[in-house]
Amino acid sequence: MSEDARSTEKSESSGLDPHEDARALVRLIQCAQCSRPYRTPVTLPCGRSLCRECLPQTHERENISYPDLPGRKQGYQCPYVECQDEHPVSDCSIDVTLTKVMDSIAEIVAKHASTVRGTLTFTEEVAHDEAISMSTEKPPTRQTYGGRLMATYLLAAQGQLAYNADLLYQSISDQVESERGLDNKLVKELLETTHREVDCQVCYNLMLDPVTTTCGHTLCRKCLARVLDHSFHCPVCRRGLAVPTSLQNQPSNKTLVDLLNGLCPDAVAARVQAVSLEDQPGEGELDTPLFVCTSAFPGQPTFLRIFEPRYRLMLRRCLLGNREFGMLMYNRYHEPQGELGTVPFYQYGTMLQVLHCQTLPDGQSLIESRGVYRFRVKSHGLLDGYTVGSVERFEDVSLAEEERLEAEETSQPPPADETDMHAVISRMPTQDLLALGREFVYRMQARSASWLAQRVLDTYGQPPEDAALFPYWFASVLPIADEEKYKLMGTTTVRERLKITASWIRRIESQRW
Amino acid sequence: MTAPLPKRIIKETERLQSEPVPGISAQPHDDNARYFDVMVEGPGGSCYEGGIFNLELFLPDDYPMCPPRIRFLTRIYHPNIDRLGRICLDVLKNNWSPALQIRTILLSIQALLGAPNPEDPLNEAVAKQWKENQPEAIRTAREWTKLYAQKK
Ligand SMILES: [Zn+2]
Ligand SMILES: [Zn+2]
Ligand SMILES: [Zn+2]
Ligand SMILES: [Zn+2]
Repeated sequence: MSEDARSTEKSESSGLDPHEDARALVRLIQCAQCSRPYRTPVTLPCGRSLCRECLPQTHERENISYPDLPGRKQGYQCPYVECQDEHPVSDCSIDVTLTKVMDSIAEIVAKHASTVRGTLTFTEEVAHDEAISMSTEKPPTRQTYGGRLMATYLLAAQGQLAYNADLLYQSISDQVESERGLDNKLVKELLETTHREVDCQVCYNLMLDPVTTTCGHTLCRKCLARVLDHSFHCPVCRRGLAVPTSLQNQPSNKTLVDLLNGLCPDAVAARVQAVSLEDQPGEGELDTPLFVCTSAFPGQPTFLRIFEPRYRLMLRRCLLGNREFGMLMYNRYHEPQGELGTVPFYQYGTMLQVLHCQTLPDGQSLIESRGVYRFRVKSHGLLDGYTVGSVERFEDVSLAEEERLEAEETSQPPPADETDMHAVISRMPTQDLLALGREFVYRMQARSASWLAQRVLDTYGQPPEDAALFPYWFASVLPIADEEKYKLMGTTTVRERLKITASWIRRIESQRW
Repeated sequence: MTAPLPKRIIKETERLQSEPVPGISAQPHDDNARYFDVMVEGPGGSCYEGGIFNLELFLPDDYPMCPPRIRFLTRIYHPNIDRLGRICLDVLKNNWSPALQIRTILLSIQALLGAPNPEDPLNEAVAKQWKENQPEAIRTAREWTKLYAQKK
């Protein structure tokens, strides 16, 4: 919520006037690389955009094995100095929304350019760089037409306006008002024509904090997060989204955010307000029912029998609402839980969604639920006998960070002591850690291990091929202490979880358990 | 405690009225804005041509994260629609996406009337007839359309 509050302040102060701020407005849609208005723009994982043609050369990426997807072995070095990260080729797609907005701008300018030859605007380029401004050469003065906004756009489109350059406008005095009128008209038309493009396809409202997926589709951050609770696919094109849980760290689409804040600050402020009202009931309050019982993991089924009246009440309320409740593990060894101190439960839990609920004649309920996401308890209390809390979603770091970590760890020098299990595991490529786990499962299956009986596989499915899910599956079926399984809950990378499962396997193999 | 109607549902309903799809209508109930009476005309050239089919459509609480629930009220002879009016259509199940909407779903249903798919049946008996004796199946579908799907 603090983030939303910040964007309110920003949007109120950053509205741009079509006439006075014509130069700044055009800069918002200028490619920082080629200085032209974006041509088929691509939005990078860092949220910055550039023309498809302005993407740098690709190169081979090193020491990265996970996620093993086409297009991740090749990367671009981000040309933005503020970023300079390596972006995988597959994460840099044409930005569908921004492309449509750019097309609309070009169309509107073309339409008016043919009708407004009467209005003259003189522009003079002002160099930013002192070295240039001190030179004796007089900056170029150009005579163009069509108000400031159109004149500036056309200069940029002709490649005659550097991204960083400023302009001095000189208008013939009796034409100022008609120029201003035209500038306002252009922006008004633009907002009308692009209205549907900048509406989110999930909530049908103006995009709030737009985030662009790796396939180039844009939704409100909150809407995308909700979508990903249900499916790991882009709602627009259905492309699989790799490790979508790292969404929290995905930067907003900078160009779209700036454009919306610049062109329609009031609409953005109204959206912020509406969303904060929607979130208000329960924001920071103890609004999540919590069930202190057993271990549960994202993507995995959990079956429960609910018989205590207080939990029956909790369940009924939960079924009337969003069908979700938090599952926490019982803290039987009274281990301190961070800021919460010593509480009867472990602080990290899994949100469960009730899939089926069967109520027996005696009032007991059998429920089948599925883990949706991990959370951390921020505060807690009691409501009618059951635990309730204020929780915060707990997610993995971004894919870029995940990859950076793998590259860093796998390029360490070999361990001094080859029997040092921990040192060996920490140097293994992520894919090898997954393979180690899956091979162990197949070996145990071949030996008919009872914890891999058909009945278990019918419930939990075959070992997932997805490295992000494998450790959760493994923990669900492996007969080890819950306290050991809990180690997965506070992790922030896929790699970290796979290292934990690998260490369990090594310990089992060496009979240390 | 009933939550207010999401903006999305309000806008979808408005657009269904202001930009209607030819041959399709969806009218929300006055007392329940999530419950729609739907009417779909059988597509021209199909064995449902001339028929007017009534359906009910309900938007669950988690719509659009979950697909609308929809079912034929009018009896119809179709391999992908069972006797209870339930429809076998991928976009109503696994292929649902929140970027789809009532409009696109109803268009898909109309398209399904134009292209029955006995290979992915919901109604085994009809599908069997469709595969073994298609002319007869089409004749029956026409007959049912005349019998049950006429404007009252
Ligand atoms: Zn970047
Ligand atoms: Zn460019
Ligand atoms: Zn949205
Ligand atoms: Zn997509």
